[in-house]
Amino acid sequence: MKILSPLDSIEEVDSLARAGAGEFFCGVLEDSWYEKYPVISINRRPAGKGHFRRFDDLKEAVAKAHGLGIPVYFTLNEHYYTQAQYDLIRRYLDGATGAGVDAFILTDFGLLQFIKEQRYPAAMHISTGGTVFNWRSAAFFKQLGASNITFPRHLSIAEIETITAKMPPVDTTVFVLNSRCINIDGFCTFQHGLARKEVPPMFKNACMLPFEVQVCSSDQSLPFMRQACMIERQRIWERVHVDDHPCGACALWEFKKLGIGSLKVVGRGNPIERKLCDVNFLKTLLARLDESPGQAEFRSSARMLYTATYKRACRAAMCYYPEVMAAQQEGS
Amino acid sequence: MEQAVYIHCSDQLRYLSDDFTRLYFGAEFCERLIPPRLELQTALRSARERSLGFTFMTPFVTNRGLEQLEELLAVLEQSLPDAEVVVNDWGVLQLLRSEHPRLRPVLGRLLNKSKRGPRLMNIFEQLPAETKSYFQGSNLDVPAAVRFLAQQGISRVEFDNLLQGLNLEGTDAGLHKSLYVPFAFISATRFCLSANCDDPVKMGSIGIFPCGRECLKYSFNLYNPVMTLPLIRRGNAVFFIHETIPDAVTRHQVDRIVVQPELPV
Repeated sequence: MKILSPLDSIEEVDSLARAGAGEFFCGVLEDSWYEKYPVISINRRPAGKGHFRRFDDLKEAVAKAHGLGIPVYFTLNEHYYTQAQYDLIRRYLDGATGAGVDAFILTDFGLLQFIKEQRYPAAMHISTGGTVFNWRSAAFFKQLGASNITFPRHLSIAEIETITAKMPPVDTTVFVLNSRCINIDGFCTFQHGLARKEVPPMFKNACMLPFEVQVCSSDQSLPFMRQACMIERQRIWERVHVDDHPCGACALWEFKKLGIGSLKVVGRGNPIERKLCDVNFLKTLLARLDESPGQAEFRSSARMLYTATYKRACRAAMCYYPEVMAAQQEGS
Repeated sequence: MEQAVYIHCSDQLRYLSDDFTRLYFGAEFCERLIPPRLELQTALRSARERSLGFTFMTPFVTNRGLEQLEELLAVLEQSLPDAEVVVNDWGVLQLLRSEHPRLRPVLGRLLNKSKRGPRLMNIFEQLPAETKSYFQGSNLDVPAAVRFLAQQGISRVEFDNLLQGLNLEGTDAGLHKSLYVPFAFISATRFCLSANCDDPVKMGSIGIFPCGRECLKYSFNLYNPVMTLPLIRRGNAVFFIHETIPDAVTRHQVDRIVVQPELPV
């Protein structure tokens, strides 16, 4: 399994490669896009940090990565693009292929078709926005020419196992670090990127806003305490931060058995120290896997390393595969 | 203008009336709510008795849901070979194309992307023209996207009634469009906050766990001033209500209204 690391600048290539990154993903944001679309992302990241600013820089970074044997994937994974945006989209496709990227990471079926028709010389990877929840979806995208599928965050380990068992051979990517969310990426239509200095600070991500909750039930005699419990559950998400080190490392043991190809670390825009920490964490665990530990043994070492690395205990709300924690609690 | 009524269980067949010429039936968001075969057969019978067109609604599915749909689509095809099937999952489309090519796929609103979060309305009027146009539009004005749909045998697409307005100028005129009212979908999850919501012991378990279909008993109104109107969480999906008929209807860019008499979960 390779570690798929975010990459935001030329300078990060060497250090991330040394830390253990086996693949990079990145994006570009030029002023020409931002001026027309200040609150619309071109690649699922808001304006600000987390992008290359020039295709020349991307080209240099790709050359450096290729020199180290590391492929680079380019994100154009917004859920949809309109025809009015295609002059710029074409510029990004040309710029990225000119820079030598190895693949585009895509969600929009219109763009996927466009890239196919225009015969751009890069592979097509399906982003988590492609919502591949079953083996036939994977077959569908493979038939369209995709060479890699990123599974949604909202699959259990057992479900990933059943999909990989039936799907045709295609490379696969799973999320293992950062940005767990209550909403399914590909089906969430809340608009991110509104939390900017020129708009009120209350515009943080919709999934974490504090809501007043009203329970509606056909049962008029619903006890107050039960209502309170339900309200509390509805509000539970607003107290956790989607980037408070969510982790799915316990599942690496299964992912290795299933032949998963890439472990995705979310984090375009994160400081290099954070990226290095994440990549190092996974590299250590991959080395541990090479020693062929048992499942329980591996999970135990993953949890210990997580606590030591991030100075946090494992928490169900920040666990990508909370069924692991539930099973552990039942077993203890 | 065709008017359809969209229900998700046979108890709601009471909503059928002479106002409607088509029945939408099924689950759109959660595979655990896919109707059993008998329910589908009851709905098909009701549609036939009233000479209504029939559209079977399907959700996004894991392999487990896919197996359920494989059985139901066989029943549907046998009963009504040219029925419509709304697909919200590319795998279901693949299943239709490979196993049931006579059934007619319709692109569901989960796969027809647009931004629906209501807080956008706080700043919408201050945005650059290009940005406003994006939020009102869709990828269906992209010729490659239209060709893609044609290759997949899709000739109808389902739309939500966007608060920011729906601009269908430039979309392919040959592509049929449906508009859903009054409930507009915003987001979906598999970490369902309705699942086990009345069991204090399971308060912190937010993931993919068995449920008691609590969504059939409870829904939740969510208020935050930034949202400009209440959100409604029912089951694994979030909605808002928007009843104003958009210009796209009066301009005849939409040829079907899909009325949801109740929340579609």
